[in-house]
Formats: sequence, C-alpha cells, structure tokens
Amino acid sequence: MICWKCHERLSSLRCASCGALVPPPAQPELFGALGLDRRYHVEAEAIDGAWRRRSKDTHPDRFAASSAVERRMALQWTATLNEARRVLRDPVARAWYLATGKPHPAESGGPKLSPEFLEEIFELRMAADDEPDAVRDTAAKLRARLDADLEDLFSRWERGEGDLSPVPERLSRLKYVDNLLRELPA
Amino acid sequence: MSNIGIDLGTTNSLVAVVMGGRARCLLDDDGRAILPSAVRYTAEGPVVGYAALDDAAGHAATTLTSVKRFMGRSMDEARSEAAQLHYELAPPDDASEEKVVRMAVGERLVTPIEVSAEILKALKERAEECLLGGVGGAVITVPAYFDDAQRQATRDAGRLAGLNVLRLLNEPTAAAIAYGLQERSQGTFAIYDLGGGTFDISILRLEDGVFQVLSTAGDTHLGGDDFDRLIAERLLNEAGVVGARGGALRGAMEAAESAKRALTDAESTEVVAQLGEVSATFTLSRDTLNTLIRPLVDRTLTACQQALSDAQLTAAQIDGVVLVGGSTRVPLVRQVVEAFFGRVPFSDIDPDQVVAVGAAMQADILSGESELSEDVLLMDVVPLSLGLETMGGVVEKLIWRCSPIPSSASQTFTTHVDGQTAVSIHVVQGEREMARDNRSLARFKLGGIPPMPAGLPRVEVQFLVDANGILTVTATEQYTGKQSNIEIVPSYGLTDEQIEEMLESSIDAAETDVDERLLVEAKVEAEQILRAVEKALSSDADMVQEDELGSIQAVVAELKSAIDAQERKKVNDLSKKLDEVTAPFAQRRIERDLQLALRGQSALEVADRLDRSNV
Ligand SMILES: [Zn+2]
Repeated sequence: MICWKCHERLSSLRCASCGALVPPPAQPELFGALGLDRRYHVEAEAIDGAWRRRSKDTHPDRFAASSAVERRMALQWTATLNEARRVLRDPVARAWYLATGKPHPAESGGPKLSPEFLEEIFELRMAADDEPDAVRDTAAKLRARLDADLEDLFSRWERGEGDLSPVPERLSRLKYVDNLLRELPA
Repeated sequence: MSNIGIDLGTTNSLVAVVMGGRARCLLDDDGRAILPSAVRYTAEGPVVGYAALDDAAGHAATTLTSVKRFMGRSMDEARSEAAQLHYELAPPDDASEEKVVRMAVGERLVTPIEVSAEILKALKERAEECLLGGVGGAVITVPAYFDDAQRQATRDAGRLAGLNVLRLLNEPTAAAIAYGLQERSQGTFAIYDLGGGTFDISILRLEDGVFQVLSTAGDTHLGGDDFDRLIAERLLNEAGVVGARGGALRGAMEAAESAKRALTDAESTEVVAQLGEVSATFTLSRDTLNTLIRPLVDRTLTACQQALSDAQLTAAQIDGVVLVGGSTRVPLVRQVVEAFFGRVPFSDIDPDQVVAVGAAMQADILSGESELSEDVLLMDVVPLSLGLETMGGVVEKLIWRCSPIPSSASQTFTTHVDGQTAVSIHVVQGEREMARDNRSLARFKLGGIPPMPAGLPRVEVQFLVDANGILTVTATEQYTGKQSNIEIVPSYGLTDEQIEEMLESSIDAAETDVDERLLVEAKVEAEQILRAVEKALSSDADMVQEDELGSIQAVVAELKSAIDAQERKKVNDLSKKLDEVTAPFAQRRIERDLQLALRGQSALEVADRLDRSNV
C-alpha cells in the first residue's frame, strides 16, 4: 500500500515518512481494522495488544497539529479500533460477527428455534423454583454441549472445512440457556 | 509559540508551560502560582483572582466564585447549588432561558461560561507576558466525571477567552502524567484529589503507554473548606459565641484556616481569632484536629472503596497513589490514605500545581515538537452512558459508561405512520432506565423524509464521541443517502448562535477564530455530503445517466478543490449545488425501492437488502 499524501510505501496505518494516516474505511471489517486474521480463536491479550499498537498510530492526539480532514480521519480510525476491540473481545459478539457480519442478532429476533428446544427451556423454567439445583445442572450441561458444538463449528471453519451457517441458531439457543441460568435463584 | 496547560479549578486555577524540557507553573507579579477562581464585576470591568477576593464580603453581590459548579448546568440543576453560595440567579425570562444559568451581577447578567472565560483570559495574559514567542494552543483540564454539557461549556469558555483549545484532559490523567507514571511499562494508579470544596478519586490503568480511566467516584461537596468550618465551629463554641454571623464567622474561618495550615508541621498551635468586636486566643492540637475531621476523611475512603469496586480491584492491587489538591497536605489525610492503600503516596510535586503541570506536559506533547516522551497515549473513557429515548420513554444505550474514547455507535430508526416525514430524536446521558431520569443532551427532529409506507424509511442516527468526550450526533436518511435537514436544538447550555454572538461582541476574541470555526463546519458538512454521494454512486452506478454523472463529478471535483483551498463560501455554495444535481438520482433510488416494495416484497426485506448494500 502507498501513502496517499507522499506516495511512499506504507508499513503501518501511519506513514513513516510524512506521518499521514491511511484513510479510514467507511464500513470497516473489524478484524482487519486491528490487523488480525478472521478467526474465532483469538486471545484477549492479542486483541488488546493490536488495539494499543494501532491506537498509538491513529489517536487524534497524534494529529493535534494536522489539518481538520486528517484530525477527522484520526477520530474515525480510533473510534473504529475501539469498536473492534469491544466487539471482538466478547466471544458471543465475536461469534455473531463472524457468522453474520453483525455483533448481535438481527432486530427481527434471529433464527427460528425448534419447538422441542423451546419446550425444554419452558419446562426447566417451570421447575426452577422447586428444584433450582437440578435445573442449574441440566442448563449447565446444555450450555456445555452448545459450547462444544460452536467450538467444533469454528475449529472446522478455521481449517477451511464447513461453513458458519449453523452458528446463529446455536447462539440463539445459547442466549436462552444463559438467560435461564441468570434468572435462577442463587 | 508554546502550548500551555491550564487547571481550571473550582476554587483555584493555574497555568503551566514546558520550558527547557521541564514543566513549571507561571507566577503572577507577586510570585504566586495560584489564581483564585473568582471574578468581580465592577464599573470598570471584570477583576479576576486575589483582587476579586479582596473585601469580597463588601461586594458579595458582584463577586462570583465556584462557577465551575454551574458549568453546563440548567437553572433547575443550579438552584440547589446556588442556595449554598451567595448567588443571585437571574430568573429566566422564558422557557428557553431555563436551559442556561445566568447570574445577576449589578446591572448585567452573566453565564458561567463567560465568568470562566474571564479566568482563562487572565491566565492567558499571564502566559503571554512570560512567553516571548506567544501562546499557541491550550490543554484545559476537567474532572473525569464531567458530562458532555460540562465539557462543551468548558471548551466554549476557552473559545470565548480566545484560546485554541487543543484538548480537554481529565484531571487525574494530568496528575499521572505530571509524575511521569506513563514512563513505566504498566500499572494501576489511584489519584486522590481533595480540593477546597470537592473530592475526586480516580483509578487509572496504564499498559504499553496507553492510559485508561477505569473508574471515578467522589463527593462534590467535601473539601478543605469543610475542615475549616468544623474548626471554626469549635473556636466559636469555646468562645461562647452563639449563632455567629458576618464578621465573627469570617474571623473564625480565617483563624481556623491558619490553624489548619500550622498543624501541617506543628503538633500544636496557638491562633488569635478576631471574632467581631472581641478577639480570642485558642490552642489547637493536631490530635484535636484529627478527631474533628476524621468523619470527613473517612467519607473520602467510602468513595475510594466505590471506585475500586467499580474497577473490580482491591486496594492491594494499586501500584501507586498520587495526591492532588491543597487539602492533601493535612497529615491525617496522608496517614489515612497511606493506611487504606497500604503504600506511601507520591507527593513530590506541589499538590496544588500537579494538575496544571501535567496539562502543560500534555500540551507540549501535542505540539509534536516535544522533548518529552511521545510514546504515551491518553485514552480517556466516557464518564456516563449515552443513549436515545425510545418507545415509552425507555433509554436505549448506544455508548456505555467507561467505553474508551473516541467512540462511535449507530442506531437505525423508522417511521410508525404511513407518509410520516419527520422523526424526533432525544439524546440523553446517564445510567438510569428512563429518559426523564437522565440528563437531556439534545432533542432534534430529522425532517425531509420522503413520504413512504410506515416502517420503510431507514434513518440512521450516529453518535461520535471525540477524544475530549464531546458528542456529535448526525442522522442520515438511508434512501436518499444524504443527510436530510437536521435541526439540532440543544436542550442545555448555549446554542452555537449564542456563543457566536458572545464571540463577536468580545473585543479580545480574534475574528479569525470565528472564521476558522465556520470553515471547519462547512468542510465537515461538505465531506459528509461527498461521502454519501460517492457511496450512492458506487452502489447504484446503473441508475445514473451519463450526462448526469458528468455534471455530478464536475461539482464533486470543484467542491474538493474548494475544501483544499479552504474557501468557506465556495464550500457552502458547492455543497448546496451538489445536493441539487444529485436530487434526481436520489429520487430514482427512492422510486426503485418503493417499486420493489410494491412488487410484493415486505418492507422488511427491502430494508434488509438496503442494509446489505450499505455494508
Ligand atoms: Zn506519507
């Protein structure tokens, strides 16, 4: 990539020879914004490290003496990096983002869940007051199974096998189970 | 040109600058660094600082102090505060004036922004006398918890004083920079700031040269003045004076303050108090002082505990404690803080000056020609969540409290009635569930939506918080791809027009300030239009006619060169022209979308498709 201002070759977001910033993308891909590969398996420390490295190049404080246009680019870049860090650090948001391009389910509520699953959750809810421990146990097992399922889907996808189309349905189930767990009496 | 750092405090203000690689506070003719944050309005004009405090009792009605408490507040919020001071708040003439606090001083009305601007002007003049090369930009500090309105008010005061405000910096962050904490590779620090009338505790985290404010807590009505009041009460008690007022009370307060100061080093002190007609001599020991103020000092620890739990930390996890504010000189305060955090606090730098020193260092780094380390980054956070009022008055948060800034978020709205052409948007700041319980930042109406079936228009509202913590809201109607007539009526503080009037009527403010700001605004708007047009051209290239494309591109090119040439009027005119030449194209896009809708697709599917084309 070439610097838009001085046409030198770039090695980071900020040109080493003239200090100009790469123009921010209008609809940024969040992994790309941080310079990370699109993977589900990424450590929080790796995200934080990338975020700090890039923020140091893009932060508006670095452009206090620059033109208004460049200051605005710096502002947009840094806001994007902060958004990318927030979304990608959260495993559920990261999974939604990889599968759908959005960090959360669509406003219409996401994928339809099977009546059997909804029935199961309903039964567990009904039983929650009388036998909270047993319900917690069952819900925890459900969650572990969903986790393993997602883990498997993402691992295969990262090896270039299969796709992520079943992910939204699993994530929607996960949300039901998590809500149930959260509402259980302590 | 040198950049300056300013601590604009509730009780005292200071200005500092980096000279020869070291930051130092600039002194007045009498060798004092502190400028009391007091302004007296006289027939000859405003008097600032110590001069304003001389015989303040004799001019109570025209001497304004502690105006920082009113910055960015509405009349309603200010009333309870004013009751504790000696202020005459001017009754609002009409509902629109309810938004801004005005104080009556003699014949005239002044806003807290104008009073703060007088303080800033005095500091600027001091800097101009000291700096041969003149004053460049300024960094002004604000409490970490200051909300959007308070930050805007501070920035406006700077503008009104003729300062080029480079950055608003959180006070605790400034204190941390002053101690060079950024030179460590990492750590978690507590900044304990006990001033004359306010207490703040902030927890900062430093990692790889990036500072983040993790949490803040405090008490806006707790400070060294309260210590004085307790000592004075005791003096009056011992002297058998009941219900002391006026001269007697003032004499007791003065004696109390000097006793407190003496007890910083001495174990016991003797003071003579002039209680009206009579004078009396008192002996006060440090032990007695400690017993008196202990409950107040303990209250600061409650706030410290709160800040630690908000940051999910324990006192033992704090790597360093910084003392800020004159009241941290009191030995009991130091002991209690040391015991609470289990370590000796940093106190090498004068606690009154530490914030200004840090601000000057940051100002120097922003110049880009600093001898100081440039490898540090000050990432502040949003002090309170920002959101929008939705159906039923419930708040939907878009940017959460403690998110690092700059930060952006967006939300899409639609219409609820067929043919609806406007949507009202209410922006609030705060943590409460209901909009009415939070601070109202702005209400605006997005008009000019083309008449469509309900649920079809897509209005995207974007929040952008800059590095100063100041919010900008823009709304875009997605069908036309352009920013429709957004009318922003701030529901707090001063409107831009009011600020502009003040700027124009202010002799000190250079005319170029106004021109420059108008140019920036014109350019920002033009860039937004350009972006929208370019986006529409790339996503719907098939819908542009060839001759039309030529004329659009010609205007785009002209507008871009006008932006580069910084020609404000031309930028404005060409922005309008671009709007006009793209109107038929925008109209065709709307019609196409409506036809799709009529062809049996649901509004939702059309909207989904539009969403995708915008990704
Ligand atoms: Zn370059």
